[in-house]
Amino acid sequence: MRKNVRLVKILALVGMLTILTAAFAFAGGRGVTDDEVKLGFVLVKTGPVAALGIPQGNGMIDYMEYINEKGGINGRKIKMLWEDDGFQAPKAVAAVKKLITRDEVLTIMTTGGTNQTIANLKNIERYQIANIPNAMTLEFFDPLNPYIFALGALYEWQYQVIVDYIHDDLEMEDKKIGVVYTKKEYGIKGLDAVKKRAAEYNIPVVAELVLPTGAVDASSQVLALQKAGANLVITCDVLPPVVSFLKTAEKYNYWPTVFGFNWATDDALVKACGPAAKNYIGAGFVGSWTDDSPGIKLVREIAAKYDRNPKLSSLYIGGVGVSMLFAEAIKKAGRDLTPETLKNALETFRDFDTGGIFPPVTYTSESHAPAKKVKLFKADVEKGRLVPLTDWRSPKDL
Amino acid sequence: MPIRSKTFCESYHEDIKLLNTIWSKCWMGVFILVLLTLPYTTDTYIVYLVNLSCIAVVAAIGLNILTGFTGQISLSHAAFLAIGAYTAALLSNHLEMPFWIILPAAGLVSAATGMLVGIPCLRLKGLYLAMATMSFGVMVEYVLITWKDLTGGERGLYMSEVNLFGHLLDTDESVYYFLICLSALMIIIAKNIIRTRVGRAFIALRDRDIAAEVIGVNLTGYKVMAFSLSSFYAGVAGGMYAYVMGHIHPEHFTLLASVEYMAMIIIGGLGSILGSILGAVFIVVVPEFIKLFAQALEAAIPFMQGRYDEEWNIAVFGLLIMLFLIFEPGGLNAIWQRIKSGFKNWPFTY
Repeated sequence: MRKNVRLVKILALVGMLTILTAAFAFAGGRGVTDDEVKLGFVLVKTGPVAALGIPQGNGMIDYMEYINEKGGINGRKIKMLWEDDGFQAPKAVAAVKKLITRDEVLTIMTTGGTNQTIANLKNIERYQIANIPNAMTLEFFDPLNPYIFALGALYEWQYQVIVDYIHDDLEMEDKKIGVVYTKKEYGIKGLDAVKKRAAEYNIPVVAELVLPTGAVDASSQVLALQKAGANLVITCDVLPPVVSFLKTAEKYNYWPTVFGFNWATDDALVKACGPAAKNYIGAGFVGSWTDDSPGIKLVREIAAKYDRNPKLSSLYIGGVGVSMLFAEAIKKAGRDLTPETLKNALETFRDFDTGGIFPPVTYTSESHAPAKKVKLFKADVEKGRLVPLTDWRSPKDL
Repeated sequence: MPIRSKTFCESYHEDIKLLNTIWSKCWMGVFILVLLTLPYTTDTYIVYLVNLSCIAVVAAIGLNILTGFTGQISLSHAAFLAIGAYTAALLSNHLEMPFWIILPAAGLVSAATGMLVGIPCLRLKGLYLAMATMSFGVMVEYVLITWKDLTGGERGLYMSEVNLFGHLLDTDESVYYFLICLSALMIIIAKNIIRTRVGRAFIALRDRDIAAEVIGVNLTGYKVMAFSLSSFYAGVAGGMYAYVMGHIHPEHFTLLASVEYMAMIIIGGLGSILGSILGAVFIVVVPEFIKLFAQALEAAIPFMQGRYDEEWNIAVFGLLIMLFLIFEPGGLNAIWQRIKSGFKNWPFTY
């Protein structure tokens, strides 16, 4: 026993001495050579919401491949590394660690969704990871987080625009809102935003029901909403569970007007639901696949070139858009490319035109918040896609 | 006059020594040297994996004390880790306590909860116990998500770095030594528990509880003790996890995580401390090997390009558990013992 105690003491002593020296070890420049820039991203590839990550990731890779074929950026080719997080925060942390410390990427273009980004906030700061996460909540931008840049309109703003639309444009008597949400950070934020805005308009929220992300049936939610008399349903959930909800509602002959946010606003929803989607209205901040804008034309050209037929086109478009922003920032940073110069380059964007993929993008050193622009789309069952219902809108000042 | 050969012990104390031959001492010395120099000889990601392995080792030892040595199945081990992790984060964030208070406190809170679970579970065995503990795990997960004011709900909680006498251990390399020392300490404690009266009582209880009671083992006391000891280890591991990850979230402590700990001790070897260590390290590093294997496949076979995903890991885990249960129920520990005795007895086969 005495020898064991001695062993522990020796271990502790050697450990402490080494800690003091190791604490000062720090990695230098990373991810950039004379002819190559390594970029990473963390996106879901497996699990219940894999369908969301795959088209976005493909869009990101395809655009950089397209750039590489045109000679790269400032004489350097782009190498893309994709880590799957399974939409789980712990895996996202491990993925970020791997990309930064083993693969030594210049930056991680997206750290995934809201929970994954929250879990990685310390890493983002420590490793100076300039990134555009799929997380659009106010806390990432106010106060300013130096390395997080907005992808599009915040969830709160999207739901404000939806409730504004319900109040101002929807001709209906006795409006009653039911909310279906997931117990993820974005779902809870959405629920709070809807309740707050509806209260400002005195529109009652008659039901709040949880629909898990992996749900394949929503019978209990549909029956509860029917019982509560909700004639408007706002979903705060990603696309797969919203599809489950719409199909279940059709089964029970329940036809409220259903709203969704950007992660459930895609032509794939109309294709998957068919007539069940006839009353669906979605909010989004990327252009539509059939737009004639130069950006969307380019997206279609790239998709054809790399033989993609994205089932979730809005996500593919968004993926191309994110890569476009980073490609522009790398170009602006010039040959002296480091995590810091990349971040500084992103902060020089002033109404950067993505050709209709996103609304004009502005980032400054004081604000990385997105444009308050949201478009509403309505399902067109016959055409099998979403068609614009409104022009770009911002939440009203109340 | 006996002929001295191989391992010759003249007393019981000599017989139960942790390192009882010159060779085992030498190999341990080499192993410690490798561990101490690791951050200087490899990249940060490997160090990060070793850090995770250290946490898994402590947690797996805890589960092995309960399941492997005492024979009580638990599917709520991740819940006890969660209790430890959240206790650590709350004590750190609200009371700014140092790590040397936080980690034991995390263990103690978890142990107290383990006792509370252990008492009503005294009359349960096998599948019924598995179901009861699983329910407890689900309850803890529910509380973590819904008690937002305390646990942060879906946002989770942030955790500060370890502050070692004014020095923040904020890199993987610096926290590495801290975790290695802590894990070594926990391993030595576990080894000592198992080779003393308490450990023998646990094993007796596992092998035949009625017989154990007949020879004077207090079933109630030792079962509750096993639950609380196991939870203590889980609590400390949870505290370490919170320090390493910097952020904790209910997703980290799901039923699947409990199953993963169960896989560690099955693959490593039930009822063996060395098995817990081997199993924990194996489960942490095996996804990396699968990834490397997949990359090699991708390079060799164009058809395989881009086909690797995380589902491979889950499939391989399932397969490994099946294979170990069928072909090597003793786990990695049994394989290791066979290799060791092969060398010891060489050139003889037995």
